[in-house]
Amino acid sequence: MNDGVRPPLIELSRASRTYGARTADEVRALRDVDLAIQPGEFLSVEGPSGCGKTTLLNLLGLLDSPTSGEVRWDHRPVGSLSDRDRSRLRLTGVGFIFQRFYLLPTLTARENVELPMRPLRVPRTERLRRASGLLAEVGLEGRERAFPHQLSGGEEQRVAVARALANRPGVLLADEPTGELDTGNTRAILDLLVRVRADRDATLILVTHNPEVSNRARRHLTMRDGAVVRDVGET
Amino acid sequence: MRGFGWGRSLRHVRLQWVLAVSAIAAAVALPVVLISVGGGVSAHELADLQNAGYQIVVSAGGSHGISGAHALAQRIARIGSVTVASPILSVAIDAFNSTSPTAPVSPVLAEGVVPGQFTPTLGPTESGLFPSPLPLGDPTDLVHYDNGTYRGPATYDVLVSTPLAAAKGIRVGQQIVLSPSTNRSLGVAYNVTGSFGVPPSILGPTGAFAVLLPLSDLQVMTGYGPANASSVFDAADTIEVAVAGPVSDNPSALTHVRDEIQSLVPLYGVTSLLQEAQQLESASAVLTGFYLALSSVGLSVGLIFLALVLLRRVETDRRSIAVRRALGLPARTIAAGILTEGAVIAALGALVGTLAGYVVVESLARWATSTVQEAASLAVWEPFTLGAIVAGVVGLSALAGGVATRAALRVEITEALR
Ligand SMILES: Nc1ncnc2c1ncn2[C@@H]1O[C@H](COP(=O)(O)OP(=O)(O)OP(=O)(O)O)[C@@H](O)[C@H]1O
Ligand SMILES: [Mg+2]
Repeated sequence: MNDGVRPPLIELSRASRTYGARTADEVRALRDVDLAIQPGEFLSVEGPSGCGKTTLLNLLGLLDSPTSGEVRWDHRPVGSLSDRDRSRLRLTGVGFIFQRFYLLPTLTARENVELPMRPLRVPRTERLRRASGLLAEVGLEGRERAFPHQLSGGEEQRVAVARALANRPGVLLADEPTGELDTGNTRAILDLLVRVRADRDATLILVTHNPEVSNRARRHLTMRDGAVVRDVGET
Repeated sequence: MRGFGWGRSLRHVRLQWVLAVSAIAAAVALPVVLISVGGGVSAHELADLQNAGYQIVVSAGGSHGISGAHALAQRIARIGSVTVASPILSVAIDAFNSTSPTAPVSPVLAEGVVPGQFTPTLGPTESGLFPSPLPLGDPTDLVHYDNGTYRGPATYDVLVSTPLAAAKGIRVGQQIVLSPSTNRSLGVAYNVTGSFGVPPSILGPTGAFAVLLPLSDLQVMTGYGPANASSVFDAADTIEVAVAGPVSDNPSALTHVRDEIQSLVPLYGVTSLLQEAQQLESASAVLTGFYLALSSVGLSVGLIFLALVLLRRVETDRRSIAVRRALGLPARTIAAGILTEGAVIAALGALVGTLAGYVVVESLARWATSTVQEAASLAVWEPFTLGAIVAGVVGLSALAGGVATRAALRVEITEALR
């Protein structure tokens, strides 16, 4: 689907992320990673626990900045963007499915899905319609008014997926989006993400341990100790 | 995320809210009480001054310091634009039951006045309390005084205050014996020709047990103008001077009249009530400023407490704040949430504080001891001032909200989402 001449959407050059620099518990979670991601790519990230997958996703999703090296979005160095611009990009351009879901506990399932639409002034009726539609797509019809503590882990995870799709982002970053799901639901969520990506030519990057999930991706990254040790498949 | 403990955190939040609202309420109640009571008392005294029937007072230090009062009053009355000059002598004397020599003595406050001059110096609230003209027989007090000799016949008429009449069972037409001392035999029998009400006097001698009689009669009785003496003191405490309407409202014309009177009596004090009112007004403004300064201490403590509660909320909500930031919700949405919460707490606190201040003042007015009670019952509730206090507190809550907002926007997203 890529003709090879499209410029990269997100680019990491020698990007490193060190936690607790110059302290006793300094952790180099990412080490000099070079990576170029084309628009519309479908990419899986694998690797043992603690190898830096979430850290990489945070940099790709503008949640964090590298301690050295550079991240560029559309050729613009992320470091040169204001906090406001980065917020705006996250709001409209990125759908993030967190490893631990992070639903807001005081909001219902539907309110959680509506939340990212509010700052964009989506009219209320449209918000409700879209949120209910997304919840139905992840198989949570009828659970709109449930609070997160009334949902099972898998249900929470599916609400998180619906929320990530709320503003129809061009980039989907999913940190083990099917970790809590049974085979049936895993397949359903995966089908949804794949369909969304195909419909909108969105970029889909997912972290997973599940071979069934990673097999659907076109490009496969393997990480170890903060470095990308394998990068196979089409770009 | 599951079992985030949101039931428990809600209880926590509720307790913090109650504490913060109470802190603000306590801080607001103080100025509300001080300003409404202080404002009420000075407004009342100001009204007393402005409603008096006279505008200038001549007074002298010591007891009964003005001598030659009749003659001086007449000279003052001849000054242009002066309408009335009324000499007044106040002495504590004793009253006895005229028919029962063994009945106990009552100390009373006696006011000696020139009847025809006294009535026009009464303010609108007082004048309804006195019969007009005063039924004291000798309207100009010149029959008895008779060119400064006290040789004319005394009328021996007296008016008694209604509280005195009620307490002692005195009726118009009866006689009472008035004496300068507790020795009844030095007394003279007076005819009670009428009674008068006692004005609701605030924070001053109440004079509820009072009698009103011709000036010369009181002077003779108390020895300040001994009968048949060739040279007499003709003493008075004050001379109240009323001026013509247009002059009374005109500060410079009033000052001019005051200066003219002063030149007649260089050794006595001559003040215009307008001056006094202005002094009272500026004193009350200073006092209000002082109250506000005092209250600002309490208010600062309340706002610091509010800031702490909001900071604590940010601390417990760190994760939710980070999630919102991660989803890309703008900083201003997060700021607005915190500022609104601060403003709501402040507004609630200010309203509760105003209400508490009101309840405190009303209970003082009902149950406190006399002086406090009287002061409390005068409190004025000015919606504008109270509204300004509430609005000010809500406005200042933005400072507390600002501190908490700063902390919220500094939350590191990836740190908070570990
Ligand atoms: N905020 C942080 N402060 C300090 N160390 C951190 C922080 N976040 C992550 N780390 C460390 O950085 C390393 C990489 O963490 P990361 O979360 O990226 O791993 P991961 O590949 O996502 O692991 P998992 O598969 O278990 O989710 C780990 O050793 C982790 O302990
Ligand atoms: Mg991870």
